[in-house]
Amino acid sequence: MYVLRHYTLPLALAVGLHAAAVWALYQGWHPEREIADFIKPETVIANLIVLEAKKAEPKPPPPRVQPQPQPVEESRPQPDPAQEQRVREAQEEAERRAAEEAAEQARREQERLDRLARLAELAEASLDQAIAEESQTLQEGSEAQVAQSYRMGIYQQILENWSRPPSARNGMKATLVMELIPTGEVVSVTVTESSGSTAFDRSAEQAVRRAGRFAVPEENRIFERYFRRVYLLFQPEDLLR
Amino acid sequence: MPEQISIFELIANASLLVQVVMAVLVLASVASWMMIFQRWLFLRRALIELDSFEDHFWSGIDLRKFFSELDGEDGLNGIENVFVAGFREFTRLSEQSGADADAIMQGVQRAMRVAVTREEARLETHLPFLATVGSTSPYVGLFGTVWGIMNSFRSLANMSQATLASVAPGISEALVATAMGLFAAIPAVIGYNRFSAKVEVLTKRYEAFSDELTTILHRAAHSRSGGG
Repeated sequence: MYVLRHYTLPLALAVGLHAAAVWALYQGWHPEREIADFIKPETVIANLIVLEAKKAEPKPPPPRVQPQPQPVEESRPQPDPAQEQRVREAQEEAERRAAEEAAEQARREQERLDRLARLAELAEASLDQAIAEESQTLQEGSEAQVAQSYRMGIYQQILENWSRPPSARNGMKATLVMELIPTGEVVSVTVTESSGSTAFDRSAEQAVRRAGRFAVPEENRIFERYFRRVYLLFQPEDLLR
Repeated sequence: MPEQISIFELIANASLLVQVVMAVLVLASVASWMMIFQRWLFLRRALIELDSFEDHFWSGIDLRKFFSELDGEDGLNGIENVFVAGFREFTRLSEQSGADADAIMQGVQRAMRVAVTREEARLETHLPFLATVGSTSPYVGLFGTVWGIMNSFRSLANMSQATLASVAPGISEALVATAMGLFAAIPAVIGYNRFSAKVEVLTKRYEAFSDELTTILHRAAHSRSGGG
C-alpha cells in the first residue's frame, strides 16, 4: 500500500521521461540526409559567369526610352484652335498631359517588363548553351581518352613490325601518313617528310604495311575524327651511336 | 551509406550480450529516475513539514496538550516522531517516583537520539541505490562497448579487404552502450549529491530541535525536582 502510494507518480514520471528521450532520438537521428542535398552539378558554377557577362547588355535601352516623350509633347498645341476660354484649355491641356504621362509611364513599365523577360530568356538560352557546351566537352574528353588507348595499340603494333636499318641515326625523323578504313585495314601509306635516308624511310613504310591491320574503335564518329588519317612520326631515340 | 542507420536498427543488430547490457542500463536509468523523483517529492515534503512544525511548536502552545494530540496518531512525520519520542520518555520517567532530574534527562536524550537516527535512515532511503547506479553504470556501458568493438574487430580479421564501412556499424552500435551508461549515471550522481546534501541539512535541523527540546525539558525536570 505504502509502495503504491509513494512510488506510482515517480515511476510514471521516470517512464515518461525515458519515452520522451527515445522519441527525441527517433526524431533527431538523421545525420546523413542534409549532406547529400548539397551535391550539385558543376554546370551551375559555369553559368554564373555567363549571366554576369549578359547583364552588361541591357544597359543601352534606357537612353532609347528617353527621347520618345518629345514628339508627344509637340503634338499637344495642335488640337486647340478655340481661343475663347483659355482656362478650360489649360485645364484640358493639363488633363491630357496627365493622361499622356500615365500612358507614357505604362508604356515604360511595359518596356521594362519586356526587357526583363528578354533578359530572362537570354539568361536561359545562355544557360542551355553553357550546359550543352559543357556536356560536349565532357564527351569529347571521353572520346579523346578512347582514341588515345587505340593509338597506343597502333603504336605498339608498328613498333613490333619495325626493323630499323643499320644506317639509322639519332635525330632522324620521318613523317608518314596512313589512311585507314573503318575495318582498320591500311589503304595507303605515304612519306610526307623524309628523314634524309631512303633506307630509313622505307623501313618505316614497311613497318606499317607489315602490320597491315590495326584495331580501331567501332564507333564511327571517333574513327572518322581520329583514325581516318593517321600521322606517324618515326624517330630512333634509343640508339647509342 | 545512402540510407540512414537509425539508432534503433543499431540496437537491434547488436550482439546478444551488448543488448543485455543495454537492457540493464535502461532499467537502471528508469529505476534511478524513479528514485530521484520519489526522493525529490519526499524530501521537499519533509522540509515543508519541518517548517510548519517549528512554526507551530514555537507559537507558545502547551507542550503537554500538543503531545497528547500527537501521541497515538498514525503516520507521524519525521520531526513529530522526534518530539513524541522525547516527550513520551520524559513523562514516563517523571511519573516514576524515584527518578532524579539528571537520570530523566539522560533517558530523554537517548530516546531522541534514537528517533533522529531512525528519521535520518528514512530520509536516506534509496540514496545508496543512486550512488551505485552513478558509479557502476559507466563501467557496465563500457563493458558493452568493449565487447562490441572486440567482436567487430574479430570479424574484421577474417576479411581480406578492410573498409571503414565494415567496421563502423559495429563500433557505432557498441558505443551506444557507453552512451546509455552515461545517460543513466549522470542524473544518478547529480541526484545523489543533491539529496545527500538535503538529508544532511534536515538531520542537522532535527538535531538542533532535539537539543532545544532537551533544554526545555531540562528546565522543567529541575524545577520539578527542586520544588518537589
